[in-house]
Amino acid sequence: MATTSKNMNVFYRQKKNGTTSTGKKSTKSPSPKHAATFGSEITQPPALVSHGGSLDLKDDFDEQEQVLRQFDMNMAYGPCMGITRLDRWERAQRMGLNPPKEIESLLKGGKVKLESLFDGRV
Amino acid sequence: MEVDSQEQLQRKQSTYLSLDENFEIQKEVYRGQQYSQIYFARLHMMRTLLYSLVPNWKSHLPVCTVLELEEGKECIIVGTLYKHMKLKPCILDEYSKERSVAPLIKPHNFMHQDDYLVLEDESGRVKLGGTKLSPSVYVTGVVVALHGKETSAGAFFVEDVLEAGLPPQIERPLKSREDKYVVFVSGLSIGSSSSNPLQFQLLVDHITGHLGDEEEQGLAAEIVHLVIVGNSVEISHGLLNGQNLASKDQSRLSEPFKELDILLTQIAASLPLDIMPGSSDPANFALPQQPLNRCLFPGSATYNTFRSCTNPHCFELDSIRFLGTSGQNIDDLTKYSEAKDKLDFLERTLRWRHLAPTAPNTLGCYPFTDRDPFLIDSCPDVYFVGNQEKYETRLLKGLEGQLVRLICIPRFCETGVAVVLNMRNLECHALTFGTQISS
Repeated sequence: MATTSKNMNVFYRQKKNGTTSTGKKSTKSPSPKHAATFGSEITQPPALVSHGGSLDLKDDFDEQEQVLRQFDMNMAYGPCMGITRLDRWERAQRMGLNPPKEIESLLKGGKVKLESLFDGRV
Repeated sequence: MEVDSQEQLQRKQSTYLSLDENFEIQKEVYRGQQYSQIYFARLHMMRTLLYSLVPNWKSHLPVCTVLELEEGKECIIVGTLYKHMKLKPCILDEYSKERSVAPLIKPHNFMHQDDYLVLEDESGRVKLGGTKLSPSVYVTGVVVALHGKETSAGAFFVEDVLEAGLPPQIERPLKSREDKYVVFVSGLSIGSSSSNPLQFQLLVDHITGHLGDEEEQGLAAEIVHLVIVGNSVEISHGLLNGQNLASKDQSRLSEPFKELDILLTQIAASLPLDIMPGSSDPANFALPQQPLNRCLFPGSATYNTFRSCTNPHCFELDSIRFLGTSGQNIDDLTKYSEAKDKLDFLERTLRWRHLAPTAPNTLGCYPFTDRDPFLIDSCPDVYFVGNQEKYETRLLKGLEGQLVRLICIPRFCETGVAVVLNMRNLECHALTFGTQISS
């Protein structure tokens, strides 16, 4: 069924103005906020949620969770499934992989999900 | 017969240090992880090591990951090998409607001429071609560095292989040693129909000095340690089928342990003894097997000379390092690869620096998250494997001056052969009991 471009916005939820995903691809030296993405070419695409479901933007897609998800996806630190994010960070630290310190402070600060992106979903 | 000789013979002693901490899993917590974690730990450790060895091997070539391969560009890649085997039993075969290639009767060895190797790292995997890397020698789980180039077909043509090689060995102080012997025995299988209690009793009597004249006793006094390498008991399968046991059968279940305990008490009263679990012992199935519970040995466990150890087992006697397993790792290699003899398999595991490369693929293993305990960091002086068909031994010399005594310990219930090692010069000989002749 054909939809005009105006109506596409109905199907695709808009990203919040605050987050920038284009910055990661162009810069060679990433800013500290996106240091977790260093080495991973995959950017986190916005989820497709139809209207009608509750849009709990704060819980799922805030800045911190995005950064943590990039940490989950980064292959250099190994698989993310079956291990908590903090354990994975500490393992990367012990192996000498130098994971970014911001992740550790985020995880120890609380108010973020300690389990990885796939926890309970696979 | 003289009742009292002039002087009492003293048994020689040696300092013992247990290095089994790596193989204990009491502190591990299972959080639902899968085996990807242990493979990542293995790849990371081995890759760091191989990256440090590559400049000495071929310094002019670039090192890249699998996904960075370009057609025709000669480079070096490091990753975990995966061997695709046609005949390897797969759970999906039960569900496939077409007739599978695998025959109904399980072969002892699953090799096939169509087997091929694939190299994998976190970025991707690539099929390996060329004749340098033989699928009959390698198994899934070995980490190697490969020099070659990508072909137009998308495969990686291998020109040369770099294995990690023998790990560095700690120098032993060259003090003038006296003759001190360590006895290895495995596959006692007490409780099975093929075990002969007299044979083991003869071994115990010999070691404790109850046999022979003073000269014999003098030789026995030079034995400082005994290692029992797995499969000490065998419980008949009829008792283990999950049915409730009648009271008369319950005693049959514990009889092999009572018999073993009586004999172990005699040994423990005389010299230090290590007992390792094996595939037929009541320990966990997955490697690393945990020590047999001390409750099984009410008599012998009271002695401080009795030590229940893990499988694999690593220890030091007078600073000579011993490392060995009860045979599951080598038996698995026998199923998925081939070699002239079992000592070749032992040598390969040392060159790959990994005790059990097929774990967790075809060999049960605990899903560690942060380490791979089977990696060999330091070259042992004595490397043994138990429960093999026959006694074999070889002295392996490494490129950096390492010297390892490789020993295959035969099953005692079948051969009546125990192995004696002289710690002074790492020489080995067989000790045969009964009327059987060892090969």
